[in-house]
Amino acid sequence: MTKNNDDALVRHGSNALAVRESREEFITPAADIFETPIAFVLRLDLPGAARDGIQVNVEAERLSIKGRLEKLHAEKTNVLYHEIAGKSYYRMFNLTAGIASDRIEAEFQDGVLSVTIPKSERMTTKEIRIQ
Amino acid sequence: MRLIRWNPTRELSSVPTELWNIQRDFNSLFGAMTGGNQDDGSSGLSLWTPAVDISEHENEYHVKVELPGINKDDVKITLESNILTIRGEKKQEEDVKEEGMHRMERVYGSFRRSFTLPTVVKESEIGAIYKDGILMITLPKAEEVKPKQIEVKVK
Repeated sequence: MTKNNDDALVRHGSNALAVRESREEFITPAADIFETPIAFVLRLDLPGAARDGIQVNVEAERLSIKGRLEKLHAEKTNVLYHEIAGKSYYRMFNLTAGIASDRIEAEFQDGVLSVTIPKSERMTTKEIRIQ
Repeated sequence: MRLIRWNPTRELSSVPTELWNIQRDFNSLFGAMTGGNQDDGSSGLSLWTPAVDISEHENEYHVKVELPGINKDDVKITLESNILTIRGEKKQEEDVKEEGMHRMERVYGSFRRSFTLPTVVKESEIGAIYKDGILMITLPKAEEVKPKQIEVKVK
């Protein structure tokens, strides 16, 4: 398969996000995207996100991911180093055609969110045997 | 109480990381036209710097390190003459195949960070927990450095 249809999955995703983010305190989580014969897989780093505060939404061909960070410090502490920034994670991706958006699955482990987006029947790679 | 004095020469070691971060930002701006910039870890160079929060409490220090997706066996924490060092390697997940890769923004490779602790800690009671991508190290202060309240009688 060519890589041409991949851009459709993520096209404008980060640009649209940048505009939104300038107004709100979101961290854009780093993402890896890879493709298997039957699905696209998004993998995002959401360290410290509260498991019950992660939302993966699919709406009008857009996939959005939100995560709320657990409270970083108890009160009345003396902070010596402060590099872990932000209150929540947010990122949005545009979905291409040919995706079975009703079968998207997400899993959160060790601070990494994996979202599996199955391809619809006609998009899956089929091997054709030569007779 | 200050943790450490800022040492500009120490910062020099992080310059390659900074450059790499700039390159990464450019790549994401222009749609990641280039391939990955990951190191296979074999060079032994630290290619990324995990973010760290350190807080001081009455009886202990808390060190929080952002390490999403790491195998906890690949992290090593050492304390040597009051210098806490956290080192390790983040490996790529095994189900990822290069030919199917479309975008690669997450970092992989080895890292190392060191901190000089402001006071003596009880080495035997240092604890570390890894949960939801955060490594939390608890370092209890040694008895002799805990603040003591001394009552002065006014005559």
